[in-house]
This record gives sequence, C-alpha cells and structure tokens, in this order.
Amino acid sequence: MEIENLVTFCRALRERGLSVTPAEVVTAATVLQVIDTKDRDEVFLSLRSVLTTSIDDFPVFAELFEAFWNRSPRKLIERDSGTTVRARNVSPPKGLAFFLENWSASVRAGAAPVKVPGASDTASRAHKDFTDFSHEELEQISQLARRIVKRLASKPSRRWQPVARGHRVNLRRSLRLSLKTGGELIELAYKRRRAKRTKLVVICDVSGSMDMYSRLLLQFVYGLQNSFAKVESFVFATTLSRITGELKNKTYRRALDRLASNVQGWSGGTRIGASLANFNVQWLRRIDKRTVVIILSDGWDTGEPEQLAHALSKLQERAGRLVWLNPLLGNSMYQPLTRGMQAALPFINVFAPAHDLASLRALEPHLVL
Amino acid sequence: MLANEVYIADAGIATALYLSMALGKPLLVEGPAGVGKTEIAKALAHALDTKLIRLQCYEGLDATTALYEWNYPKQLLHLKLEESSSASEAEKEAAIFSEAFLLKRPLLQAITEHERAPVLLIDEIDRSDEEFEAFLLEILSDFQVTIPEIGTIKATHRPHVVLTSNRSRDLSDALRRRCLYHWIDYPSLDKELEIVRAKVPTIGQVLSQRLTTIMQRTRTMGLSKIPGVAETLDWANALVALQATELNDEIMAETIGCFLKDEADVATFKATQIATD
Repeated sequence: MEIENLVTFCRALRERGLSVTPAEVVTAATVLQVIDTKDRDEVFLSLRSVLTTSIDDFPVFAELFEAFWNRSPRKLIERDSGTTVRARNVSPPKGLAFFLENWSASVRAGAAPVKVPGASDTASRAHKDFTDFSHEELEQISQLARRIVKRLASKPSRRWQPVARGHRVNLRRSLRLSLKTGGELIELAYKRRRAKRTKLVVICDVSGSMDMYSRLLLQFVYGLQNSFAKVESFVFATTLSRITGELKNKTYRRALDRLASNVQGWSGGTRIGASLANFNVQWLRRIDKRTVVIILSDGWDTGEPEQLAHALSKLQERAGRLVWLNPLLGNSMYQPLTRGMQAALPFINVFAPAHDLASLRALEPHLVL
Repeated sequence: MLANEVYIADAGIATALYLSMALGKPLLVEGPAGVGKTEIAKALAHALDTKLIRLQCYEGLDATTALYEWNYPKQLLHLKLEESSSASEAEKEAAIFSEAFLLKRPLLQAITEHERAPVLLIDEIDRSDEEFEAFLLEILSDFQVTIPEIGTIKATHRPHVVLTSNRSRDLSDALRRRCLYHWIDYPSLDKELEIVRAKVPTIGQVLSQRLTTIMQRTRTMGLSKIPGVAETLDWANALVALQATELNDEIMAETIGCFLKDEADVATFKATQIATD
C-alpha cells in the first residue's frame, strides 16, 4: 500500500467513526517501512494494531482493508460520504419537532405570569401531578436533583487526600514537617479517604405514553446532569439516543433546543427491550459496580418481553443498582401487570413511583450505593 | 522467537509484539479472561532474556504503590541517629530525601532498570480507576518521573510495555490511542490442542484431543463464566495428576471444578452434555 492510498484509507476509517488522527497516520506510515508490504496478512495485522483501538473497530477495519487492498479507494470514499450527506438530509420526524416546540413554549408561558405564593401548602403542591408544573417548581426539581447528586458523592473511596484533622497520620507530610523541628515529630499531618464518586446513568422513556411526564423527568435528568460530571443520560422511544452532550448546557431552554435538533423518534411508540439491548451493546462496558442505573418508563412495551428481561438481567448483573421509576405507580389503583413490566420486575433493585416531587424526594436514599 | 518459550503465538500476536518493539509503543492486549494475555508478557521477557516487572492494577491503586514511596521508618531512624550531629537542617533533609530512602515501586523500577530494557506488564488496567489511567498516560508518554525532592529520573532503557484489559470498564481514548492494540480470543481447536500438548506434555494424544473438544464445546453453551485456556490447562494437569487415561463419568465428576466455577454452569453443562452424547 502506498502512502497516498494509506492516507485515503485512514480518512475512510475516520469517516466510519474510528479515532484515526494524523498521529496514527504517521505511525501507520512508519509501520509500512518496517514490515514486508507485499505480505497481505502482515500489512493487515500491522495496520490493524495501529489504527484500531478496540475490537469493536475490527469489522469496519476488515471491510475497508479488503476494499483498499483490491485498490478501489476513490470509489469507496465517494460512496461513503454520499451516504452521510443523504442521512443528514433526512428531516427529523414531525412528532419530535412539534413536541419540543410546544414544550419549550409552555415553559416560557409558565414563567411569564407572576406567581402569587398562595395558601397552598408545599405538601399539596408536592402531590400535584407534573403536567401542570410552573417554572419555579421545575427549579425545585433541579434543586432536588442537585441534592441527590451531592449525596451520591459522599462514599469513601480507597484513595487518600490530605486534611487538617483526621484519624490517619500522613507520614509523608509529617516527616517533612518534622524537619523544621530537627527531626522530632511534633506536628502531625493527617489524611482521610477521598469521597467515592458514584456514577449515574439515566435512561428516560420519551415515547407517546410518557408525554405527560417526560417534561418533568427530563428536567430532573437535566438537573442531575449539570450538578455532577459523572452522569450519562439517554432517551428512547423506539430507538436509543445519548443526550449527555445536549443536556450539558447553561440553560434548560438551550438544552431543549439542542435536543430538538439532535434526537429522533420523540413521542412515538415504545420499544423498551430493543432500546435497552441497544444500550447494552454500546454502553454496557461503561457500567460498573459504582454505577446506579435509573430507568424512567411506564413499562408499556410493544416489543417482546423476553428481550426486555434479557437486556435488564445483563444490565443488573453489571450495575451497582438498577432503579426503575414508573410514574404510573403513583396511582394507587395501578398494578404492574403489563407484560413488559412483569418481565422486568425480577431484575429491578428498586421499583418506585416518579409522578410528583414527593416521589422524587423519596428516591434519595435509594440512589446512594 | 516465542515458540521456544512454550507460548503458542499466532501471526497476529507476533506482529503486534514486533511492532511494539520496533516503534517503541506500548501494546494493549484485550480479550476474555484466561486466554493468556498475561502470558504474552512473560513469554516476551523470557525470550528477550530480561526482567519482567509486573504491576497488578486494582481499584484505588495510586502513585505511592505504583511509582514510589519514601521509606518512612528508615527516614525516622536516620533522623534519630543524626540527632546529635552538627549537620544543618538542609543537609539532613537532603540526606533523608535521597535515593537511598526511596522505595521503588514497579513503574519506577521499570524506568531505572539499568542493565537492559525490562518488560513492564501492567496487568488488568481496567481494574484501576480513571485517575490512575491519566497518571499512567503521563509515564508512558515520556518514561520519566519527577520526584520533587530528587528531580527528574529518565529511563535509561525504554521498557517494553504490555497492558492487559478484561474490558470490565472502558479505557480512555487517550490511553487506547497511545498503544498498539491486539485482541486475543479463545483459541481454535487445533491451537488449543497444540497449547495443551506443549504445556502438559505427559498428557496422551487421545485424552488431550477429547479434553480440548469438550472445552471448545463448553464455550458455546452460553455459560456465565466461560472457561479460558488457563482452565483447560488446569484440567489437563489435574487429569495427569490423577493418572486418568480416559474421561469417564467418575473422572469427569471429580475434575469438573477445574473448568466450571459456577453451580448453575455445571448444571447447564451436564444437561447439554447428555443431550449431545
């Protein structure tokens, strides 16, 4: 493979999502100088070890290498960029745009009229359904999210940090201090265990049946996301989208705007099982015993319950805790009898309601590992 | 090269190791548990006739256990002994913060190895936390360490670095990009047979064939703990120790614990075994 071909090949890999930067291209070029470039297998194995960073990259690499070894690089790039352009031209489904426009409009409307703090006590407001929440109340939800996040960060880890007063002597510092007094240990320095950081993964159902609640729940997720670095958020209806980046915005409004342009399939049907299976394929590696996974959904699934059960069992095995928040649980008449919910129950560590502020508040202790 | 070390290498791993040495880049080896990721480093050290320095990662691993730590008891003792001496404070400080009072942990050992480049094995990097990964990245990029009290220590010989990961956590892109990448999967029947016969030479032809076939089939049963090559070898060794010549039900029952470590898996295995026999 010649240098030009190699560069085109690397570009093709990059377009397919591999992290091939100029640095890797340079390394790859160096590699070609130290191996037998006529030996197809040797070139394949060598370039693969340089240009891939994970086994997940192998199929794409193999496919493109095949094409390039048979010398048709030009065509491949053209075809490739062609598909990207076409994909971008596809407009997001109407439902999503409509939903988000109306949604942000209603947030603005709620903020405009001056709210007179009436005689209504906090308790009754806490039981009001999310559908008619005002701007300030949404702010309360953000505050609650921040409180929860704070508690998450309060477990001791195995790492140490120096402190003024503590139970363990920091020998390194103490010795250094002792030099001032001619090697006599008079002043002691201390250390304590650093707080352990629990990670949070939130997977929120935004399908049609959840419309009433998704506005509030997303506000909650937004609050979580912005008070703590280690939160990953996802939404799904029929397909799964990662929205961590979109939510990391100074204002909720702007976050919503970005969501509107980047997330597809809003308010559609629900395929929980498939969405979670998809989550597992892409993200399960990031889940560990220090991760709390929260699923926000009403459990109305149009897919196969077996798929849901399988995906959840994988998830629970890997995570520190699996929490399922179901807004419908707030209704005392509700029984989790849907096939999806029935299949899911054995794998859930905490099954709790999430239809109002009080229920979110009650959640606090469950989120601490 | 590796064939002499009773490590059955394939073209992939040989190429990866060659490039890792030719380019001076660390090699990241991923794969399921028990496929011999750690063995690669051992075989490499043996083949190069050099020292193997191993850093076993775990959660909470930090610089004081991975890089260096001061030998406090020795420092204290030294200060006591010097109490009556006329040395100034600065002299005393210089004395106790010198190399003689330094405890070298694996990373520093690897850097200061002066005879020839050692093999540095950073085992199960996925078990350490992200902070440690970032710290490691720094070391791996320039192979030098700065100790405030002593100064910068530069590697005399760049160590050959092998990192292994079981993928229990996603490694950072930065670390991945710094390394060459290789994936080891479970071996094919032929390769596994070759490994068994090389590592456990006293096992008979028939028995090794039978055992390897069973192991290969076991891996497709969808068990929760899929046995690796390490388990195959354990089992082979157990059979040799028991002087077994065939795999009858009795021997099977006695030794099944060598490769199945989960009660539910044993049940699955037995059910599938009966179904296929």
